[in-house]
Amino acid sequence: MTSPFDRRRFLELAGLGSAALALAACGGPSTGPAATTAAADIDFTNVKPAPSIDYWSSHPGQSREVETQLVAAFNAANPGITVNLITAGATYEDIAQKFQTAQSAKSGLPGVILLSDVWWFRYYMNNNIIPLDSALKLLSVNTGDYRDSLVKDYQYAGKQWAMPYARSTPLFYYNKDHFKAAGLPDRAPTTWLEFAEWAPKLKSSTQAKYAYMYPALAGYAGWTLQNNLWAWGTGWSKDWNITCDSDDAITAMQWVQDSVYKGAWAGVASKTATDDLAAGIASTTLSSTGSLIGILTTAKFPVGVGFLPGGPKSTTNVCPTGGSGLGIPSGITKEQQLTAAMFIKFVGEPANAALFSSATGYMPVRKSADMSAVLAKTPQIQTAIDQLAVTRVQDNARVFLPGADQEMAKATAKIVTQQGDVKSTMADLKKTLTTIYERDVKPNLKG
Amino acid sequence: MALPNLILIATFAYRPLFANLQYSTLNWTLGSETATAVGFGNYVEFFTSDDAPRVLGTTAVFTVFTVGISMVLGILIALALNQKLRGTTFARAAVFAPYVLSGVGVGLVWMFIFDPGYGVLSWILRGVGMRSPEWFNDPQLALTMVIIVYIWKNLGFCAVVYLAGLQSLPSDVMEAAAIDGAGPVRRFWSVALPLLSPTTFFLLMTTMLSSLQAFDLIRIMTPLGQGTSTLIYEAYLQAFGAYNRAGYSAAISVILFVILLLLTVGQIRFVERKVTYS
Repeated sequence: MTSPFDRRRFLELAGLGSAALALAACGGPSTGPAATTAAADIDFTNVKPAPSIDYWSSHPGQSREVETQLVAAFNAANPGITVNLITAGATYEDIAQKFQTAQSAKSGLPGVILLSDVWWFRYYMNNNIIPLDSALKLLSVNTGDYRDSLVKDYQYAGKQWAMPYARSTPLFYYNKDHFKAAGLPDRAPTTWLEFAEWAPKLKSSTQAKYAYMYPALAGYAGWTLQNNLWAWGTGWSKDWNITCDSDDAITAMQWVQDSVYKGAWAGVASKTATDDLAAGIASTTLSSTGSLIGILTTAKFPVGVGFLPGGPKSTTNVCPTGGSGLGIPSGITKEQQLTAAMFIKFVGEPANAALFSSATGYMPVRKSADMSAVLAKTPQIQTAIDQLAVTRVQDNARVFLPGADQEMAKATAKIVTQQGDVKSTMADLKKTLTTIYERDVKPNLKG
Repeated sequence: MALPNLILIATFAYRPLFANLQYSTLNWTLGSETATAVGFGNYVEFFTSDDAPRVLGTTAVFTVFTVGISMVLGILIALALNQKLRGTTFARAAVFAPYVLSGVGVGLVWMFIFDPGYGVLSWILRGVGMRSPEWFNDPQLALTMVIIVYIWKNLGFCAVVYLAGLQSLPSDVMEAAAIDGAGPVRRFWSVALPLLSPTTFFLLMTTMLSSLQAFDLIRIMTPLGQGTSTLIYEAYLQAFGAYNRAGYSAAISVILFVILLLLTVGQIRFVERKVTYS
């Protein structure tokens, strides 16, 4: 019997390997220090818009239909220009994966990309998106009419990196029938401590398994739990200082754990908390305003919405902003970038912002958007708009550290599904988040 | 004539392999045009962090259980399907059907079955006064859940291959054993099973390689990888899940490649010796 690896075979494989090595050297990143300056502002003087661009969306808030309508309206209003609506995934993460792959392949980039609150900063650090300032100025976009806090979310190093589009906050959703049966007032609780008093009444007077359902950890646990942490006077971080192991944070997360184990009135959603609410499994939950139209449609009981509760330290309601905006890749032509900016301007026009909001429940991003017809149909949207007054910019740790959302979800899972020790879990989380910051963010922060 | 094939293999098989080796020595954020060389830093980080025992342990548990149970159940089902009974043709098709279904579709359906709130399993358990386990939130249960679904989906392959093996056994040998007084159990253990050793070897190789590369069910049913992060899924999470650490992900892929290579060579060199081909 002859060996399968004889000299001839070895030489063949060596030859193949050498050829492959040579080919391998042709692609991938160049090695060297990270870029120290962000993508420069674009000079659009004498640039003509490209005839065609793609818009990558995940149709957040079941917006496929209204997005198709908006794209068709843009194409009709701009003869000779076509925007192609591309379903680039089902979630923000799907789009990010596709976009980063296209970046690495240096081909197939869209003109406009939907980017969520946790992704745009990474694109900024990688020089994947352009600042929009010059394009907005050229197209006379009235940025002052956009809701201030939503526009500011995309500002860094004195530049505007995206514009708000499908912007949301979490809302407190509740089953009005359950509240009535429990003899509770028809409103959201002012604080979590107040809700802790209500919860046993809800459990004893309804068929619901839980008085409150924490959103699924695989979703955006780090987003909604900011409300609890802020209510207890702390957060995941303060600027770039990770504070998730502070005494207040431990107290807040201990309260969360106790709601699941000691009080046993709260559960953790396996998939979608609003589905659990609609199915009557839970009496209350937190979810995005983007879930509003969906829950109102599916629930067979009157749904109440309210501000997110405050807590023992924060006397007012506290709520993070969220959702997604629109940005423009740096790796496409100026002509395509100009067309992209025109499209961003178009979908942000007050009438279009109102149309998008009415179809999804997302907040109207323009102050002058006429919401009277929308509010007559869905008055609950007013709560989301009013809640903007108590919104805060999210913690840096949650939105700017790659993978932080996942690490926060894992830590939370340990606390609320495995009854892990809160103090050590939060200490471990701080260590992980600090490592991410030191390794992946700090070296890429540009002057 | 060999040249075009060699070029294709070099371009589409070896090039990504060597490119991946190169990336594994970089601290590279996916999407960035620049990266810094870190030598074996990614490998050192993997083996000195909590990642190694967590990911390698999950991979080992997933692989051992899915391969072992699929093969044992596969041969038992094949023995049942090998009987001349009414309805065996339908039963064979039913057993094999899950194997050809989309992993994504299977995952979605089983997610509904396992849902602790309103899933079918939860409904059955409630009927007998039991509470549904938190399949999705408890890491150990999540791994158990994914193993169950993976076995259900891939069992048909083992069963059908074993069935083909059983039907190709020489009838004269089986009859001789029967004439010599060997009962059905003795005939199976002492005659059929040794004669099926080429089939067992083939299945061991293919199911092990498939299990080590299982992705779709894990991705759909447990997107965070909480408790279910096998090597291949960890590689995905690190590069595409949220962390964007393409270099670290490449290092994990290389580790998976080396494990696959060692297992394959090991099986060829040591396990195949025990195989009876005739």
